[in-house]
Amino acid sequence: MLAITASATIAGVDGRPVSVEVHVAGGLPAFTVVGLPDTSCREARDRVRAALLSSELGWPEEKVTVNLAPSGLPKVGSGLDLAIAVALMVALDRVPRDSVTNLGFLAELGLDGALRPVRGALPMVAAMDRPEVVVAPGNHAEAQLVERVQSRPVSSLRQLAEVLRGEAAWPPVPPPRPVATPPPVPDLADVRGQPVARQALEVAAAGGHHLLMVGPPGAGKTMLAKRLPGLLPPLDPGDALTVTRVWSAAGLALAGGLIRVPPFRAPHHQISSVAMIGGGSAAMCPGEVSLANGGVLFLDELGEFPPAALEALRQPLEEGTVRVSRVHGSQTYPARFVLVAAMNPCPCGESGAPGGCRCSDSARARYHRRLSAPLLDRFDLRVVVERPGAADLLSAPVGEGSAAVAQRVAGARSRARARSGGLNVDLRPEELNRVAPLTPGSRFLLERAVTDGRLSGRGLHRVRTVARTMADLDGAQAVSDEHLAAALAHRVDPLGIGVRP
Amino acid sequence: MTALPPAAHLAALMSLDGMWPRRARLVLARRSPEAAWEALLDGALARSVPLLRALRGRGPELVQGWAEQARALDVPRLWQRHLQLGIGVTEPRAHPAALREDPAPPTVLFHRGGFDHLDGARVAIVGTRKCTRYGRDVAFDLGAQLAEAGVGVVSGLALGIDAEAHRGALAGTPTAPPIAVVGSGLDVVYPRANDVLWQQVAERGLLLSEAPLGAAPEGWRFPARNRLIAALADVVVVVESHVRGGSMSTVDEALRRDRPVLAVPGSVRSDASAGTNALLAQGAGPVTGVDDVLAVLGCTPGPRRPVADDRLAPDEMGATVLDAVGWQPSTLDQVVLRTAFDVGAVALAVERLIEAGWLVRTGGWLERVPAHR
Repeated sequence: MLAITASATIAGVDGRPVSVEVHVAGGLPAFTVVGLPDTSCREARDRVRAALLSSELGWPEEKVTVNLAPSGLPKVGSGLDLAIAVALMVALDRVPRDSVTNLGFLAELGLDGALRPVRGALPMVAAMDRPEVVVAPGNHAEAQLVERVQSRPVSSLRQLAEVLRGEAAWPPVPPPRPVATPPPVPDLADVRGQPVARQALEVAAAGGHHLLMVGPPGAGKTMLAKRLPGLLPPLDPGDALTVTRVWSAAGLALAGGLIRVPPFRAPHHQISSVAMIGGGSAAMCPGEVSLANGGVLFLDELGEFPPAALEALRQPLEEGTVRVSRVHGSQTYPARFVLVAAMNPCPCGESGAPGGCRCSDSARARYHRRLSAPLLDRFDLRVVVERPGAADLLSAPVGEGSAAVAQRVAGARSRARARSGGLNVDLRPEELNRVAPLTPGSRFLLERAVTDGRLSGRGLHRVRTVARTMADLDGAQAVSDEHLAAALAHRVDPLGIGVRP
Repeated sequence: MTALPPAAHLAALMSLDGMWPRRARLVLARRSPEAAWEALLDGALARSVPLLRALRGRGPELVQGWAEQARALDVPRLWQRHLQLGIGVTEPRAHPAALREDPAPPTVLFHRGGFDHLDGARVAIVGTRKCTRYGRDVAFDLGAQLAEAGVGVVSGLALGIDAEAHRGALAGTPTAPPIAVVGSGLDVVYPRANDVLWQQVAERGLLLSEAPLGAAPEGWRFPARNRLIAALADVVVVVESHVRGGSMSTVDEALRRDRPVLAVPGSVRSDASAGTNALLAQGAGPVTGVDDVLAVLGCTPGPRRPVADDRLAPDEMGATVLDAVGWQPSTLDQVVLRTAFDVGAVALAVERLIEAGWLVRTGGWLERVPAHR
């Protein structure tokens, strides 16, 4: 007796269709799973048997062979449980054979026959070429995001059997679980003073430029960074789906539906390079750079991160994707994010001001050696953030709120998109003379910065893109000398370690 | 083989591993350099009971090690190298008076330039390596004005204040030579950044060290170096110093030798001036200009040349920004808050002020430049 059902597994952030073939025939009672199952997939055997027996659907005292095709593709996780159970029911004639031809199945089984949600439901459902997919109620919100597929949430194996036999209708869609409202993003109005850092944040949001803040502890670097998501516009539908797919694959989006708020990821500085860029077991989980896709990756205490984790950032920063290769194959994940980093000027952290530091030269050099020049070079915006004085804290006018700034950012983004079809951070050098021609005054400023050794050729190009973003924020057609001077001022060598900005 | 001068054997003795100044003094006690060298080669030194006792427990092992090295050493070639580099080696009785009479006199001195450069009045200008623009400017000006007044500037050729004082002493029309005491061998330029300055001091003045050729700038050599700076100076001026640091060890050595210590007052908010301000509180004389130093030396101040400021006067915006920067290192943030202009306008004004020489940028900080340079 042979039966075939459709399901899917996950590789990286992509679903892959899997056809589950069950063969039941005479012989000593046994249950074999072939087709590169991982441990949790192999354990399906015990879950499926208990679920079928608890649901009073019977268990064959015969030899059962389960083949997961294509057999060369590694299968991970427990999402194939339901497809195996249903194929068995078909093979044992518990449900009619033609009732499953248009269905896909994706759920883990409890020993009591309950359907449980699995991670990566969105990409897996999208990978199945069936018009209807049976999922656990907890996966319905994700599954229904795939437009061409009808999601069929079912809560137990017994209920599913009744529907397949035609004894009952599809159960009603459960009311959406109240999704915990995400904690509100703090408002930029809380920041007093810090005009340069505020502007840097605004420019980072509008142009997608990476930002490095250097300053002593308590200067407000983290406070500023946490306010960046509030300045970014909501994700557009395409980006939202990509972000949701990645989060689903990482098992983070089980409760809600589409993610529209740009993500904000702030990994701890002891992160490994695998956790940073993705990888791991056969499942190849997306890393922090991919979870931050479409949003902000915030690295607090940049100088404390393992150098390997930081160097691994170079490819994603350059290409917007990250390619992870392992023995089982290689995966490409999306990784387009705004990198915001904060660090102390030196180990004592006291002050980066000339004459203010108490560290020994060697301690300073060691601290600064952890950051490579190529990585620092990726930051278009590098600003010094100092502790605001008491007078600034008490008497500085309340800053602009996030809403007003976000509106300006949205305007600047749409201007940039209308002009070059993307964010300014992606402007190519050859486009600059068209979109940001230089005035004689600006040309002079840049020439001097280059002859002084303050700017490299690459830096020159980056300063001009930042100036373009500043002009966009002002709603200006042309890039003025002030925009360019401000862009230069936002690109200092804050560590004084002679990295050419 | 032509006979080698005593200095060649001194240089050879000092080049042995672990031949520190104190040990060299023991080896050279009651022996001429040639005699000490011969005694080392023929084993007489290894049998010298007073020497072994003075070297404490490690005596036999040290002397044996020296003897092995000495047999392998090509003395004429080593001396040839000293001659090529123009480096003299002297034993205590040939030392300049200021060092001969010192309570902690050096044993052997390596020098480039003659001791006649020490004939006039000398002032040590010392301070922190991590200085502010203010400290640099004051050190430069003091160095320049003292050198023009015929006073030799003594310093340590470290980064920061030391280097700036000598840069000043070499600029303009100096009438006194620069004098530097360093903590490494005279062929080991440390820090590398001072390479050019190092050569200029050697060419136009006197470069001194207790360390043999090739000696690395080891930590213990610097306090010893500071003692020589204090010993050579008639007056010690501390321009900027943190509460602890090498300049404070120079000050201690100067006080031990009854040399007047003067300090340049600084902002109470600047860590780099915390040490100098503390010295002032303890009674050091304040330096508000070169005249204060000359007065302590007993010189009459020369006629003051008017300061020529040929910088382009800043416009109204520039003047406001310059005022906002003040004489403290300031971030652009602070300037923007103090002026209430927007970031772009201030940034542009700052670029123009830097261009005209009114401001400099150090890392992410802005510092104001006074008229002298």
